[in-house]
Order: sequence, then structure tokens, then C-alpha cells
Amino acid sequence: KESNIDINMVDDTDKPDDKEEYELWKLRELKRIKRDKEEREAKILEEEEIERRRNMTDAEILKEKEKEQNKKNKKTKYT
Amino acid sequence: MANRTVSDARNIHGTNPQYLLEKIIRSRIYESLYWKEDCFGLTVVSLIDKADQLTCIGGQYGNQKPTEFLCLTLKLLQLQPEKEIIIDFIRNEDSKYLRALGAFYFRLIGDSVEIYKYLEPLLYDFRKLRRRLPDGAYDIIHMDEFIDSLLRDERICDTILPRILKRQVLEENEELEPRVSFLEDELEQEALAAKEKEKSSTRSRSYSSVRKGLYRIYNI
Repeated sequence: KESNIDINMVDDTDKPDDKEEYELWKLRELKRIKRDKEEREAKILEEEEIERRRNMTDAEILKEKEKEQNKKNKKTKYT
Repeated sequence: MANRTVSDARNIHGTNPQYLLEKIIRSRIYESLYWKEDCFGLTVVSLIDKADQLTCIGGQYGNQKPTEFLCLTLKLLQLQPEKEIIIDFIRNEDSKYLRALGAFYFRLIGDSVEIYKYLEPLLYDFRKLRRRLPDGAYDIIHMDEFIDSLLRDERICDTILPRILKRQVLEENEELEPRVSFLEDELEQEALAAKEKEKSSTRSRSYSSVRKGLYRIYNI
């Protein structure tokens, strides 16, 4: 079960001013920034949705639920 | 004595700090050769040398043997050095494995705000760390990836990390400023510079059109 990759086969030395590594890091950092931004946006959207539902009357909520149910039914019909 | 926590240790997250590693892993560490031979009687100072000599990070490997990284983490939990010392571990530039060990330990014992405060700067560190995988093989993980997963994941190096508040929550409570990566600054500046360039190029274009107009007027 044990792998035979030796410790010497994996090199962890860092070169000073390694351009390539810097570019790779830049990519990772950008991905992180993007991910964090998307999370923030998702949260704002969710809050807006909650606020919208709160301001609706019961009748409106029922109507919306019905619509969603209809959509679902349509989808399942053809699958 | 060797396996006991120092007598004046404070409880962390409501428990003996050593219990932050699961019992089964703890007992495997107590049984390991590295623990018995190299960790016996270590002090915080002599531990620094050991951490400097680390060749990899990781949890358990092969026949569920704990890595030296995990052994030293347990030693730190036992010794409970001052927070300032750990922060020095994290801030040191010379030894990346000491830094990784400090960061991992700090993630275990720190509170949420401090963890973000001291670990996030390490996201700029893209040095390579060797990581031991469960099957005994090695791979490379970069410091920033390691730190990012410390901040987000629940389980690293076969250790369940204590719960940490989400960054967003802390920002809403105004305990943390939003994080702005210096890369974002740089990008913004690049964008600005590009705009500036565009402007100046349109200016030069308009300048040349003016000149053309002059040529036409004076017929030269």
C-alpha cells in the first residue's frame, strides 16, 4: 500500500525571484479573490431574497409557490 | 512527565490543549520513535531547531504513523509557549517549516480574529512545502495554499480544526477590516495606468489631427 516516492524525488527548494512561481501564485490569489467576491455577492442576493419574501403577503407567497411547483411538474413531465 | 501538559497551562477551547489532537492520534504520537527519541525534554528553544529541520508537513502516513510535523505540534500543545513566541514563529522569514508549524499551531489555539490577523499575511508567501500524503508519498503544496485551507477547511493534517468564525461575520461585527490583497491594488493601478495610456493616446491622436488641420490651413 505504501508508495515508493522517495523524499528526494520531491524538491521543495525555492529559487529567489522565481518568476514562474510568482505567476502561479498570482493566479491562485486571483482565484481566491474571485471566490471571496462571489461568496459576498451570493450572501447579498440571499439577503435581498429574504427581504423580498418578508414584504410579500401570504397570498403572493402562495401564488409564487404554485408557480414554482408548476415549473417543476413541467420539467419532470419530459424526463 | 514526558506526555503531560505543563502544570500551569491554560485551557484552550475549554479543554486541555493536548486534547485538540484526537486521542487515537495522540497515542500514536506517544508511541512513535520520533516522539520518544527527539521530543523528550524539548523546550521551546530547542523545538525551534527541530522545526527548522522538518522536511515535510502532513498528518499520518503509511501504517498510520504520525509525521514529525504532528509530533512537534503536540509538543507545542504540551509546552504552551507564549502567544508572542508563536507569532514570532509565524513572522520569521528564514524557516518555512517553522512558519508552517507556527501557523498550524496558532490555528488550533488562537481565536478567530487573531487567526485572520496573523495568518492572512502569509497568503503572500508562495514558497514550496513538501507534504507527506497518507500513502507515504510526497507532494508539493505552497505556503499560501496551506494557509488558505487552514482558514477554510475543517480537517487538515488528520486534525479536526476548532471552529472559526467566518470572515464575513467578523466584518459585519466590525471586528475585522475587509481584506484587500495587494494584488487587487496592483490590478487597480494597472487598470488606471491603462486608462491613462488610452487617454494620452487619444490626446496624441487629437494632437495629430490638430496638426493635420494646421497643415491643411497653411497648405504645408
